[in-house]
Amino acid sequence: MDVLDDYKKTWINQADEKNRLTSLEIYNLSHSKSSSIVKWIFIVGVLEFILWTVINITIPDRFYKIYEDLNLMEYLNIFMGLHYVIILVFLFLFYRNYKRVSLLENTKKLIQKILKIRKTVKYYVFYNLTTVFLGSVVLNIVLFSDDAHLMKVMNPQNLTLDIQQVVTITVISQLIALLIIIVLLWLFYKLVYGTLLKKLNKNYKELRKLSDV
Amino acid sequence: MQKDLEDKFLLDFEANQNIAHKICRLYTTNRDAHNDLFQEITIQLWKNYPKFRGDSKFSTWMYRVALNTAISLYRKSTRRIKTQDISDFVYKVKSQDYDDTEEVQLKALYSAVHQLNDIDKALIFLYLEDKPYKEISETLGISSVNARVKMNRAKEKLKNILNP
Repeated sequence: MDVLDDYKKTWINQADEKNRLTSLEIYNLSHSKSSSIVKWIFIVGVLEFILWTVINITIPDRFYKIYEDLNLMEYLNIFMGLHYVIILVFLFLFYRNYKRVSLLENTKKLIQKILKIRKTVKYYVFYNLTTVFLGSVVLNIVLFSDDAHLMKVMNPQNLTLDIQQVVTITVISQLIALLIIIVLLWLFYKLVYGTLLKKLNKNYKELRKLSDV
Repeated sequence: MQKDLEDKFLLDFEANQNIAHKICRLYTTNRDAHNDLFQEITIQLWKNYPKFRGDSKFSTWMYRVALNTAISLYRKSTRRIKTQDISDFVYKVKSQDYDDTEEVQLKALYSAVHQLNDIDKALIFLYLEDKPYKEISETLGISSVNARVKMNRAKEKLKNILNP
């Protein structure tokens, strides 16, 4: 006989939990607030959507002055229209993925679906970062293609700088800003999603291993 | 309507709550965490209860929801200090010819299973509960063949922990 069969008998023979709950206690518990991983992923996701949308909306008007100076306002407006449509699509996908999570699925499917909620948010952030990056690339191309413009935009107080200095300052300040953004985002993701998804990723990896025995 | 459903749920769950307690004991190591997980399982069972069609037994359905909660939804509270406080639990057997070696054995079994990963825990739990491979594979979402192979490995791991 397998040694575990002996343990199994003991297991089946174990006494019922001594702290059994009454119907009333169960009723109260079932109406309490969940603090599940899925709920937290949903909350953090919503906060991210809000954060990026607030960033988009609260950009001060004077930021757009550079676009006006470079005659890019028309393109910017078209892009912003498109941008809001894309945000709505993301929000729809995010909500749909959240709604699709069902505990009645098997464990593997369930974890896949939970990870999918998070993926939508990830793509949303990537999308935002990409637009910021591409936007600044386009801006830089237009900016550097015309020395007079560059001097006007980057040196509005008409300080005595030569064009070489202006170019250097522009490039360095942009690089520093980029670096700060990347470090902050990386920290944010490590912290928030690292703690939230550690267990899920581990269990999903384990289940995937099971599937290709 | 809602009231009827609720009454039926309370009745079903009250009678089967031992399943949830056993899962909590396997996936947590102290009383606070046990209660936390039990609460989350209760919330999820109730939330999903309207979708319980009754074409399977309540207990079968409950295994799935409760295990899924333990494996995928439950977040260990970071406020609490991590303690290996297995002594919070009293492991009792209900055998008529009372034998304390069984209790020692049960305690050893629990602390051995605590050392397994979440998925192996589920495999071993379903084995101890005498579930057929079909149900095990459907619960976890792997094929029957893989369930068998993995079960043997999980059992080997457990045996090594029990009898190093």
